[in-house]
Amino acid sequence: MKKSFKRLVIDTATKYMYIALVINDLEVGYVYQVGDNNHSVTIMPLLEELLQKQSIELKDLDEIIVGVGPGSYTGVRIGVTVGKMIAYLNGIKVSTVSSLALMASHSDDVNVLPLIDARRGNAFMAFFKQENHRISYVEEDVLMNIDLFKSKHKEPYDVLESGKPQIEKVLNSDLLTEIGNIHELVPNYLQVTEAERNLKK
Amino acid sequence: MYVLGVETSCDETSVSVVKDGNIVLSNVVLSQIDIHKSYGGVVPEIASREHVKGITYVFDQALKKANLDYQDIDLIAVTKGPGLIGSLLIGINAAKVISLNFHIPIIGVHHISGHIYANYIEQGMEFPLLALVVSGGHTELILMKEHFSFEKLGETQDDAVGEAYDKVARVLGLGYPGGPVIDRLAKEGKEVFDFPRPMINSNDFNFSFSGLKSHVINKHHNMLQRKETIDPKDFSTSFQEAVTDVLVQKTIKAKEYYDVKQIIVAGGVAANSGLRKKMKERITDIPVYFPKMVYCTDNAAMIAAAGYFQYKKYGKSDDLYINGHSRLDLERRM
Ligand SMILES: [Zn+2]
Repeated sequence: MKKSFKRLVIDTATKYMYIALVINDLEVGYVYQVGDNNHSVTIMPLLEELLQKQSIELKDLDEIIVGVGPGSYTGVRIGVTVGKMIAYLNGIKVSTVSSLALMASHSDDVNVLPLIDARRGNAFMAFFKQENHRISYVEEDVLMNIDLFKSKHKEPYDVLESGKPQIEKVLNSDLLTEIGNIHELVPNYLQVTEAERNLKK
Repeated sequence: MYVLGVETSCDETSVSVVKDGNIVLSNVVLSQIDIHKSYGGVVPEIASREHVKGITYVFDQALKKANLDYQDIDLIAVTKGPGLIGSLLIGINAAKVISLNFHIPIIGVHHISGHIYANYIEQGMEFPLLALVVSGGHTELILMKEHFSFEKLGETQDDAVGEAYDKVARVLGLGYPGGPVIDRLAKEGKEVFDFPRPMINSNDFNFSFSGLKSHVINKHHNMLQRKETIDPKDFSTSFQEAVTDVLVQKTIKAKEYYDVKQIIVAGGVAANSGLRKKMKERITDIPVYFPKMVYCTDNAAMIAAAGYFQYKKYGKSDDLYINGHSRLDLERRM
């Protein structure tokens, strides 16, 4: 029997936590639940439960796919830390994906605009198109004024602020980036800290 | 018993392997101090980002230096608070992954119990003992009647002593962190100002440093206005004498009241040479211990040491629901 290929997907950059177990391109189990500031407390127990249901141990995994943001700074760090540690401890491959891309994959529309609110009229956004069940970027992740970003796109589109990813679509896209050196994995904050901005002034 | 210590409560990412509570096999500390220097203090968001960046590297170094595999570890001890919440969560979640990955029990440890147990690594402990915990976030007198039993006798009513050092250093234009530079200059200056010793004779074991800090800052301000020459050395000496007088006096008072067998000084300010000198000069009837310099500032060896005794005392571990706490009571049982 051919050994199955086991992948774990983790994304905690938004209010929703998404963890999924994918075996041979099929999502065999997942958690998608809201947990405002709770990801840090719940992610490991939920992950343990998810693995137990499939009788899989962390060390059985072959690849980790991590949503690296943009999104909540505190939130995204949880998932990235967990994914980074699993990959490091077991010496397995890790690939990153935009948390906006994961969100966009929820939609079945041709044009999709995922949006994570960043206050004061700004948001983390991107623009995707989907053709023949393949998802790809039209405009990459940005942090900018919501109205300004929307005004750039004239064609009809689906705006998403949450949604369970359709992970098979993402796995079949060019949206994944493999990380060569695990120690270099960090979130994509899309923005330097306020302190750094003030220092440059 | 091999304990893996994990400490990320502020701006040091640290992992350590300690055998039986005091044999330090490795103690890797990735310090961010040079990054935060330019901001005059620790920036929480930057600290959290740096922890994520360095976390796996620090674990890797700690295990390699100890020459062990994760399978050899018997217990994981991770700081659960108090501290910067975003920073704490990185160490806690990384530790939880190891726990689940290798089925190793995990316990959450109070940061201050770590600072106290930093002393155990070198000197052991004899009870009852009195611990003076002095750092950027803490100024407390704690009585220990046995291992892992903490009774808070008193604490600062406002600024922590390390905080007062930082603020005075900033006003004198000495940069951040304030403790080491004031300590250095204090050796060269004279005590020309008679700064107040707040609460030195109060009828309790509490402290207050905000009044002293304001007094120093006002004095500096007035001298600037009058265009008088300001010698940071004399300011440093006068300030440090006032601070250490209060710390030592209160410690002596508690020592006599509770008739303790030894005194330990813990936390970042335990590195202060003026405090070390005055403590040893004025307390001669019982031993006064200070941790080795590397164990004064935040490090994971002290967390592993404390975790070892916490586990021995309570005999149970935590589950994967451990959370970080920016504030956390030391006396509360686990
Ligand atoms: Zn500390």
